[in-house]
Amino acid sequence: MASRDEVVAALGKVPGPDGKTPLPDSGAISGLTIRDGKVFLAIVIDPTRAKALEPMRARAEAAIKAAPGVTSAVVTLTAEAAREIGGGAPAHAHAHGGGQPRQHGHGGRSSAPIPGVRHIIAVASGKGGVGKSTVACNLAVGLAMLGLKVGVLDADLFGPSMPKLFGIMVKPELAPDGQKLVPLEAYGVKVMSIGFLIEEGAPVIWRGPMVMSALNQLLREVVWGELDVLVVDMPPGTGDTQLTMAQNVPLSGAVIVSTPQDLALIDARRGIAMFKQTHVPLIGVVENMSYFICPHCGGRTDIFSHAGAHREAEKLGVPFLGEVPLDIAIRANSDDGRPVVASLPDSGHAGAFLEIARRVAQTLEAGAPGAKPAPRIHIG
Amino acid sequence: MAWPTDITVTDKGRTLEVVFDDGETVRLTAERLRVESPSAEVQGHSPSQKRIVTGKENVAIVDVQPIGNYAIKIVFDDGHDTGLYSWDYLRKLAG
Repeated sequence: MASRDEVVAALGKVPGPDGKTPLPDSGAISGLTIRDGKVFLAIVIDPTRAKALEPMRARAEAAIKAAPGVTSAVVTLTAEAAREIGGGAPAHAHAHGGGQPRQHGHGGRSSAPIPGVRHIIAVASGKGGVGKSTVACNLAVGLAMLGLKVGVLDADLFGPSMPKLFGIMVKPELAPDGQKLVPLEAYGVKVMSIGFLIEEGAPVIWRGPMVMSALNQLLREVVWGELDVLVVDMPPGTGDTQLTMAQNVPLSGAVIVSTPQDLALIDARRGIAMFKQTHVPLIGVVENMSYFICPHCGGRTDIFSHAGAHREAEKLGVPFLGEVPLDIAIRANSDDGRPVVASLPDSGHAGAFLEIARRVAQTLEAGAPGAKPAPRIHIG
Repeated sequence: MAWPTDITVTDKGRTLEVVFDDGETVRLTAERLRVESPSAEVQGHSPSQKRIVTGKENVAIVDVQPIGNYAIKIVFDDGHDTGLYSWDYLRKLAG
């Protein structure tokens, strides 16, 4: 199979539009696509020189055809984006990625499934601080207790919680291929988090493109192996991370976590709307911090109100998966890195999480409501 | 909502055919898809920024890639690859 590097190397012997700078360094390559040994290359030129540059086009085509693994090559000259290239000053070209062919731009990368992973689900909330990560962690351990092979991807790059919640304080090792990372394991769950790679307390200060590229690495440069479910703990909001996840992998569904109070429900609604727009099926809504039983008097207090998330789910036509109380045992065990569903398996809280895990597993088996198979793509 | 089941590039990349599960089949030319690309490079960030793309009567589609569950990215042989065509948008283009 032809590789991008080999094609670029082959083009290194072809002078670009100015007659001397090699094509890959000329900044004139506006598109390079390789599919099953078929190579398509677009070279940006001044349209008035189209005839004069035909020999360059032919040379480029011949050079690509001679590269290993190439079955066919189509090189086209285009005037597209001629203004961006400007006079083709070398300094300008270098400023834009050292003369490398332009990678797929801001239009989103294509989404291929992750080999070996059957289902990817997102745990999201809209609002921060509603217990998303705690739910994601206990849901993952619960699914593993049901006998499924489970992984957790911590997609909250700015506030990774999984190292703490799973009590993992070591760094992941490199796989034998020297490229991929081996996920760490706890409570029968494979876990990967940016938190394993940075010091606790060290901030990640990145703009969007870095977020996209780090997420792709955490998704695809990790030896997940065979998984029934990969649970993705999302950060709050509807921004870069959410869009990257919705675009770069086929999500089997999303679980929305909310507290019952109106302030959290407003953002939960936004989260649900985002998944609907990107056709990610909604597995259901979890109401966290649903009520509080006083350990001293046994009286119940609905600190964040009660049943708000249940009502909201019904209103939006999304399944309701269950409620989890506000409880000191969940908080204390989470801070100690012992997910309550595994450390206190006979408690009511563990029961609540296990029931949620059971419903999620059933939904994935039957197909989340509205889930449809991806269209088949044929290129004739 | 109608959901696509088969997306086929035919006619040497000049035509995209989309079969929807409600029985409707839409055929769109590569030229139409290219000049109506939903990319900000064509549509701008407001209707007033929309660019009229011309001279694409011979453009061809070289690749179609899935984007999540809701869209495809179409790669054209002139290098344009930043348009994400949602199922709704493909239906809308078909009229």
